[in-house]
Amino acid sequence: MYLYLPVALTSINILIPVGLGLVVGLLSGLFGVGGGFLMTPLLIMFGIPSTVAAATDSNQIVAASTSGTYAHWKVGNVDFKMGLYLLVGGFIGGIVGVQVIKVLHAMGNADFVIKMTYVFMLGIVGVYMFIESLQSMRKKKTAVVEKKKEEKESAVGKFLKSLPLQTRFEKSGITHSILVPIVLGGFVGVLAAIMGVGGGFLMVPIMVYMLRMPMHVVVGTSLFQILFTCIEVTFLQAYTNHSVDFVLAVLLLLGSTIGAQAGAVMGRKLKAEQLKILLAGIVLVVTVKIIFELTLSPSLLLSQAGGH
Amino acid sequence: MHIHLHSLMIHYARLFGNTRFLGTLILMLVFSLFQLANAKPASAMLTARANHDHITIDFFYHGSSVSVKGESDPNVDLVIKLTSPEGHQVLKQKGKVAGLLWMNVGQLKFENTPNFYAVYSTKKLDEMLSKEEQEKYVIGYPALAKHVEVTPVANEEEKAKWFDEFVKYKEESRVYTSSFGKIETKMNAQGQQEYFILTDWPYQAAPGDYVVAVYAVKNGKVVEQAESKVNVEQVGVVKTLATMAKNSAAFYGLLSIGIALGAGFGVGLVFRKGGGSH
Repeated sequence: MYLYLPVALTSINILIPVGLGLVVGLLSGLFGVGGGFLMTPLLIMFGIPSTVAAATDSNQIVAASTSGTYAHWKVGNVDFKMGLYLLVGGFIGGIVGVQVIKVLHAMGNADFVIKMTYVFMLGIVGVYMFIESLQSMRKKKTAVVEKKKEEKESAVGKFLKSLPLQTRFEKSGITHSILVPIVLGGFVGVLAAIMGVGGGFLMVPIMVYMLRMPMHVVVGTSLFQILFTCIEVTFLQAYTNHSVDFVLAVLLLLGSTIGAQAGAVMGRKLKAEQLKILLAGIVLVVTVKIIFELTLSPSLLLSQAGGH
Repeated sequence: MHIHLHSLMIHYARLFGNTRFLGTLILMLVFSLFQLANAKPASAMLTARANHDHITIDFFYHGSSVSVKGESDPNVDLVIKLTSPEGHQVLKQKGKVAGLLWMNVGQLKFENTPNFYAVYSTKKLDEMLSKEEQEKYVIGYPALAKHVEVTPVANEEEKAKWFDEFVKYKEESRVYTSSFGKIETKMNAQGQQEYFILTDWPYQAAPGDYVVAVYAVKNGKVVEQAESKVNVEQVGVVKTLATMAKNSAAFYGLLSIGIALGAGFGVGLVFRKGGGSH
């Protein structure tokens, strides 16, 4: 059955957005990512104008991450305190990022910088997570001493411990200066604004490797953080660009809210290493896809320009 | 058509010598022909009717079809052109960076371009219509290419290349098309040519007013022209939402967020009962 989308000005088979919502929602509940890096290109592929695709996806993520946060919160896997500090950082980072984009556009090579940042970030994060989780899976099997790893941490750890405003994050079972999540959240915020993505795929590894939070709490906390970011983005997109398609968002969230629940349930059955290696795999696949897009001749050399 | 007839009469008058008698006779003849023409306008006039001139877009709209029909003089070729009003369009332009990587390298502005452009003809355009006439009436892609302004381009060659890409992009979204041989024609009992075409109306064509122009072509020239209109309009809830998104953007944004939050919580509650508790 087809439905007409009043803002996208196109007609779509309702099974497509509902199906896409299910799959991306599942990834969202499983890994704590918004899934924009998958959803937006897929929507464009199905004929949705790019500006509407990005804006409507953020609206849909509000629903999926609410559903996912709720599911993780029920089993005590959301660190609200950490989430709030990350949000403060992310908010500041977003403002800085928008200014950086303005400068890049003025310099005339914005797209090159954005694409390269995207590929390198995805590539580095994917490879690092993949290798790390593979190693820790092996270590567990052979039960090798973990002392070496602890020594490595200590240099960075000492520095982090020396920062002022130390506070305890009960849910995650860690102690950090509040400056750490604010600065890291800010860093993700800057990059996310530049790349035009939610930044979940960056936030998750940062929480795992730099904040040393337990993987299952990372997923819930990341979703909590994404929820607020996407509320802000949805409002701004609707208000300034008029590019949120309400009907498309509803179709997407029909699938994604359920997918997020299923993802959260599945995630509880998987070990942290398994979750990490799966996420690393997805990030690497997306990286390869973007590299192909960059190197293969496109069939169309013109595309819709964003904004107005 | 009338003008042609008139000039024919003058031609004959010259042949027979410019006597007053003959002149009066001819005037009478012309007058009676005029009357005849007025009584049955179809006999000497090109007509055009679009069957489906008001297309409404509701939730279940998935494109439509538009048929154009009418009568023309016998032995003329026909061109049917459906267009939206002209405007300017800005598109992202992909190019190779460092000789290796494809990415957006800038924007191109296409001026005097319709968003929708469909041309159907009885024969290949070049076989029935001179280049000058094609350009005069903006019939066919080559004529449209001359009509359109593309900025920034360095030279004509580059303009041609990007116009081709533009057509490709538009054809991909089904809003540009050009073909021949789809118009059906037959002679009716009154000795006129009746024509008919049924075209798919793509759902990608945006709401708005469209002009259906029909051209009668003879000896490489447009000899007659007729017009009709197609209006595409959103109705009901589709219209309400589209209007709200534009005119009450803040409320629309908050509503979208509210619904998303509600749906997320709602599904969460359902799943709690459904047995997601581990």
